[in-house]
Amino acid sequence: MTFNWALAWQYRGQLLNGLVTALEVAVVALVISVVVGLVLALGRMSRTPVRWLAALWVNVFRGVPALVSVLWVYFGWSLLLGINLTPFESGVVALVLLYGAFHAEIYRSAFEAVPRGQREAGLALGLRRSSVFFHVTLPQATKVAIPNIGSMFIGMVKDTSVFSVVGLLEVIRVTDNIESTTFQPFVLYTVAAAIYVVVAFGLDFAFRMAERTLTKPPAGALSRLLARRRHRRLEAISARAEAAPAHGGGPGPGAPLAVLAVPEGRPVLARTAHASAAGNPQPQPDQ
Amino acid sequence: MPAVRSLAGQPVGLGQEGAIAGGAVVELRGIRKRFGSLEVLRGVDLTVHAGEHVVIFGPSGSGKSTLLRTMNLLEPPDSGSLRVAGVEYGPERPPGAPSGTPLQLRRQIGMVFQHFNLFPHLSALENVALALRRVKHLDRAGAEERTAAALASVGLLRWAAHYPSQLSGGQQQRVAIARAVSLDPQVMLFDEPTSALDPELVGEVLAAMRKLASAGMTMVIVTHELNFAREVGDFNVFMEHGEIVGSGPRGFLDDCPNPRARQFIGSVL
Repeated sequence: MTFNWALAWQYRGQLLNGLVTALEVAVVALVISVVVGLVLALGRMSRTPVRWLAALWVNVFRGVPALVSVLWVYFGWSLLLGINLTPFESGVVALVLLYGAFHAEIYRSAFEAVPRGQREAGLALGLRRSSVFFHVTLPQATKVAIPNIGSMFIGMVKDTSVFSVVGLLEVIRVTDNIESTTFQPFVLYTVAAAIYVVVAFGLDFAFRMAERTLTKPPAGALSRLLARRRHRRLEAISARAEAAPAHGGGPGPGAPLAVLAVPEGRPVLARTAHASAAGNPQPQPDQ
Repeated sequence: MPAVRSLAGQPVGLGQEGAIAGGAVVELRGIRKRFGSLEVLRGVDLTVHAGEHVVIFGPSGSGKSTLLRTMNLLEPPDSGSLRVAGVEYGPERPPGAPSGTPLQLRRQIGMVFQHFNLFPHLSALENVALALRRVKHLDRAGAEERTAAALASVGLLRWAAHYPSQLSGGQQQRVAIARAVSLDPQVMLFDEPTSALDPELVGEVLAAMRKLASAGMTMVIVTHELNFAREVGDFNVFMEHGEIVGSGPRGFLDDCPNPRARQFIGSVL
């Protein structure tokens, strides 16, 4: 038996199409399942009936294999509900059901990793709960969750391989088709494996970049490049304000925290207690 | 100790030496708070007047921080009530008084935490600007202008683009002070603002607070810095076991009538 490795190049177009299909399913499912996972995570942290429903979803679908999930959606929904999904849609729904559950667990632990004081600080500033969530808690939880979501995404791409059973033309289905005419299973499945490995490497790199960009200050050259415009803007504001003496500029004596603290019209307080402070203008040594 | 509580309930702040122009900004009445089987606040009455600087001190676990946190309902009291800027909150409001919302209350009050609690994913400027935009509804330019002024007032304008992880503890706490003060609160609460700092960084934070105090800001300060308390405290409160055990005006720390408070002061200094 000779191994004809040239087949990989010969059928590159079909294999590449299969990969694109697989990635499309996985990316659409990723976006939806992260949102679903977020909602489930919040559900698990809320009041009892909601919490139970969310826990039920998580515990059921974490245990279902992708193969069973897609068969259930593709054939089951059709028979039971009359919903006829395409192989592509079935694949997306199957992944969302499973990975929504995983992302819920990832986000739940990520929210728990955000210190309680962060939420308290947001509330103490008078922010609404929704503002605290979207501007304080969620960004910090997402940074914690990103590496795990990346691992899940690699799993999602790999799980698309079982969607060949419903006829989705992804990498494995394409490989099966080529194999049935060329009779080179070792070569073709090795190529398929190599494609998954390369993609996993690429995705790992992409999620690492995302993580480094979410790190503050941004870590690494590429993420710094991405954050450069924002940083320049901040520097410009600080430079401009420093140039304008209206703001009191530097920290000189009598620099105007007073201007901030007491708006015009607030009554000036008269009290002898202040005299002692006034008579002693030099700051005391602190302890 | 009802006698002490009624004393604290009257406008005694500086009653003898000089009248405070402002009325009561914060009034706590019979505040009780329980965590499980532990009663951390056992009926506390305290009045804070406009422009007054109230210092709360006492041993660990005496309920000082919890008391401070009930003032902006981060810890809702189990019983008792509070009145802030003329609005009633809490379970035991006077009959007929409608309750304000926690949001309404917190928008009157600024708070500085022991561990700063800056938002680590936002730069110093964004930390201050966030609430100016979301609470004061300033546009981006307006919020940034006010933020720049606030950071300048604590001497940190140069650090506007830096993230909390790039700032020292003292700088972080000054940003936290600027963040709270920029919202123009009626009262500022300080929860052991220097306890988490290296000793050499304490001074810069106290300097910012001193500046705020001399600008007439109403302040309630939980602290172990008794020298600072002596300097700015118009009214001093000693707490132990969830109660106000002793309290008094300026000079209370040097000439304390309460033996337990005197013992505590002696052990700290």
